[in-house]
Amino acid sequence: MDTFKLEVITPNGAIFDGDAVEVTLPGEEGEFGVLPHHASLTTLLKAGVVDIVTVDKRTESIVVNWGVVQVTENKVTVLVDGAVAIRGEDESDIAKVLEDAKKLLDDVSESNMALASVSAKVESAAHKLI
Amino acid sequence: MANLKDIQRKIKSVSSTQKTTRAMKLVSTAKLRRAEELAKRSRLFAQKTNAMIAELANQIECMKIGGIENRAFNEVETPKMVDIIFVTADKGLCGGFNMQTIKAVRKLMAEFKDDKVKVRLRGIGKKGIEYFTYNQVEMLDKVIGLSSAPDMNRAAEFIGASIQDFKDEKIDGVYVIYNGYMNVITQELHVNRIMPVDTSDFDCGDSTKGSLLEIEAEDSEKMLDALITKYAEYNMYYALIDSVAAEHSARMQAMDAATNNAGEMKKKLTVQFNKARQEAITTELIEIISGVESMK
Repeated sequence: MDTFKLEVITPNGAIFDGDAVEVTLPGEEGEFGVLPHHASLTTLLKAGVVDIVTVDKRTESIVVNWGVVQVTENKVTVLVDGAVAIRGEDESDIAKVLEDAKKLLDDVSESNMALASVSAKVESAAHKLI
Repeated sequence: MANLKDIQRKIKSVSSTQKTTRAMKLVSTAKLRRAEELAKRSRLFAQKTNAMIAELANQIECMKIGGIENRAFNEVETPKMVDIIFVTADKGLCGGFNMQTIKAVRKLMAEFKDDKVKVRLRGIGKKGIEYFTYNQVEMLDKVIGLSSAPDMNRAAEFIGASIQDFKDEKIDGVYVIYNGYMNVITQELHVNRIMPVDTSDFDCGDSTKGSLLEIEAEDSEKMLDALITKYAEYNMYYALIDSVAAEHSARMQAMDAATNNAGEMKKKLTVQFNKARQEAITTELIEIISGVESMK
């Protein structure tokens, strides 16, 4: 199976660093997905959710508030400002993470529509975990 | 001859000081470990950002005749006004840590004054602010509490004002001065020029072989602009976390020295105490003996 290396880096260190088979990014001009051997590209991201499909077919979601992504043949580097990974052991953990994610988005979102659509996505990702 | 009781009291007071300094050292050691870890993790972001900026800048330079238009990449021939941002600790008791930064700020300010460049001083950290207020140096901004608890958003907001002024051509340069962490026993003073960007920092060797990025020229200008802002914000944030690590290492050292000094002082005082005690005994003995002699 083809994979590529994915790094999601915040000013406080890497939040994801590993192999992935697919990643969906909230590009400034719309959402786009990246598979292995994607053409090289560099672009800005807006606030949204980064969905990662890892090698063992798990989906991991990371909420970001801003970012730049650089895609090269077998490596994707995402630089973000603030990020919250939607993951946790139990319900209370996840509830806390959700709150963090919402706070992060509240600070940046310019329109309520965008905020609502992202929030919905975050919640559905969280529900899958429970 | 010093009174026995006086000496005893002194020994007690030195011991309690020693206890305090030892506790402060332990606290700093624990805090340092955390701060160091954060700084280390954070450096990854800097590497990636720098690499990306270098690549973009290179690319734009190749594609466009006349090079990059972005103000951040062009040297200003005759600067008229610059911002100096300094970062000191909010607390003292850390040796020469704050003073080193203050001295560097004064030196840079003097240099600019010689070149007839106006300086706007913006301060983070109580100690530095107190010093400049006392010396009646005007400051544009005073932020207390940020240097002991670094926060990306607040750091971004703080430097954002300078960056905006730079873009609006109100100022011609932005400098950040702070005392950074090198290792447990040494701190290193940094005088960083944030704007215009010092491109020599970037590792260009890596980016020349760089991928053929599919971006349009307009896009890359925009992206470069966004990245530059992030770069400045991140640098500010890093200055803060580096400064915290350095502050703790400086305090650790200072408190270690203080504990040792207190130990030495205790030793000296104990010797003095013993001497005084012996002297007292000797005098008493002499008195008794001479009393006995006189009775014979």
